[in-house]
Amino acid sequence: MSTEPEPTYEQAAARIEAIIRRLDSGEAGLRETLELVREGRDLVEYCAGELEAVGRGLEELELDELVARLEGGRGAPSGDAPPTPER
Amino acid sequence: MSAAADRGEDRSLGSAAASADEASALGRLAGAAEDRPAGIEGSGLPGPFPVGAYAVRLRDGLRDRPRVQLFGEVVNLRDGGRAKVYFELRDARGAMPCSMWRDDWDALGLAPGSLGDGAQVVVAGGPDYYPGSATSSPAFSFAVRTLRVAGEGDLLAQLDRLRKLLDAEGLFAPQKRLPRPAVPKTIGVISGRGGKARDDVLAGLRRRGWAGRIVWAFAPVQDRHAAPRIAAALRELAALEEVDVVVVARGGGSLADLFAFCDETLCRTVAMLRVPVIASIGHHTDRTLLDDVAAVSCSTPTHAAEAAVPLHCEQARASLAACADHLRLEGRRAVIVRARALAAMTRAPAEHVARHRRTLRQQLRELRASARRGLAEERERSARRLLVVSRKSQSAVVAHARGEVALHEAATGLRRAAPATAERRRRDLERLGLALAAHDPERTLERGYALVEDTRGELITGDPAARAAGRLRVRFHDGRVPVRVERPRGAPAAAQGEQQALALDDLPAGPLRADPGHGEQR
Repeated sequence: MSTEPEPTYEQAAARIEAIIRRLDSGEAGLRETLELVREGRDLVEYCAGELEAVGRGLEELELDELVARLEGGRGAPSGDAPPTPER
Repeated sequence: MSAAADRGEDRSLGSAAASADEASALGRLAGAAEDRPAGIEGSGLPGPFPVGAYAVRLRDGLRDRPRVQLFGEVVNLRDGGRAKVYFELRDARGAMPCSMWRDDWDALGLAPGSLGDGAQVVVAGGPDYYPGSATSSPAFSFAVRTLRVAGEGDLLAQLDRLRKLLDAEGLFAPQKRLPRPAVPKTIGVISGRGGKARDDVLAGLRRRGWAGRIVWAFAPVQDRHAAPRIAAALRELAALEEVDVVVVARGGGSLADLFAFCDETLCRTVAMLRVPVIASIGHHTDRTLLDDVAAVSCSTPTHAAEAAVPLHCEQARASLAACADHLRLEGRRAVIVRARALAAMTRAPAEHVARHRRTLRQQLRELRASARRGLAEERERSARRLLVVSRKSQSAVVAHARGEVALHEAATGLRRAAPATAERRRRDLERLGLALAAHDPERTLERGYALVEDTRGELITGDPAARAAGRLRVRFHDGRVPVRVERPRGAPAAAQGEQQALALDDLPAGPLRADPGHGEQR
């Protein structure tokens, strides 16, 4: 089963704008409106997740430190370390 | 000494004749021969001579060499406030230690820090040798009398040649074709450790509202070590899957200072990377080859950070929240609006009846009002008519009274005039009766005239008619006599205009007077 590639933030944002334009036009029927709203809500959640990833706090690493971390624990997620406070 | 040393001695002292001259000169400098130790047995070389004498002689020999100009890259510059400034001049094939008297150095008028390691310079001077002493070490150097920093024109020409070469190979395009994420989660930054560029990058990211992960790769950003280290850092950052974009930042400097970012190997490395590189090298007037090769070239590290995060994250968050609200509202409205429309449709018949009922009531009210208005107007018209009739009645009574008076007066007049009038009328009547009687045909007949008529009673007024009729009647005042028309004997049958005689078939009593005028006219 082939899965759709995840859209980029720009693609998702552009699709949200297109959905809102379609809804604002008033030409969509009830079924289409509900489907568009559902799709738009999913895209908003995706974009919010993308923004959340760069909003939790600035994390500063040196290259050697990151390489060592990756080499030391490839299995562990790279964002486990607590972020350093923003300067 | 080795053979090489021997060869060096040969080059230093020249031919055998020159060696003899040198030896005699050294001998004069060396003082009394009895103070010298014995030489090396078996060696054919002159001497031994005192080393100081030899060193002085060597210094003099070097100083006698012609003055020349050299060019190369400055390395290991030591400007420690001493009497001399020391540095090395290098290129790919060799190097030369250089020294310059403080006075000469200051006379150049160079700005502090303007001449550093890696700078290309041209120096003028010649070789020199400090012979040293019992307490100080000797030293060889190229004594620089004056110096010129190789002009930017030289570097620019070199830069231009390399730029054309890289452009012709299409190395400026690959980076620009790479997609740049609007919201990179990890940004690699290459800059000098402790430089101001680092703070500027952080300020730019803060302005974007971005707070993701930064991977710093500190490297020298000036001198000949910079380009290989920066290229290595770029390769390592690009090898990390987490890194979405790399910023290379360096503050301002002269073109010579920034020349590390024009390194050919560095530029080729950047062109082949999988991640987009954003360059911010020097000031906005500088243009290194890395600026050309990179995906984006920015004038300041702050702008480079903003270019690395094209999206303003705070604004995007606000915009996204507005979009979410809009979608929520649209979803709710899509149902509510239709539900209201359905409810309106169910209420429509009742509202229709109510609307008609209101219309009918209104029309009834208008009808009543109109009737009241009509009655009032009719009543008013009737009152006006009554007034008119009553006035006309009064005037009729007056007229009637006047008529009676006039009638009475006329009757009185008539009564007075009646006898005379009756007499006059009787006389007029008699006169008219007489006139009428005078015209009566019977009176004419009484006087003896007769009328001729046919058997049907029609009057015959001429000869042709009488002949045509054949049988006639003659009318007298007291009766009628039948007659027949006969043709007189002997008279031509068809004589026109001739008088024909009447034959009396049955002649009555009484005269018959022939009077054509009276017979035809009454």
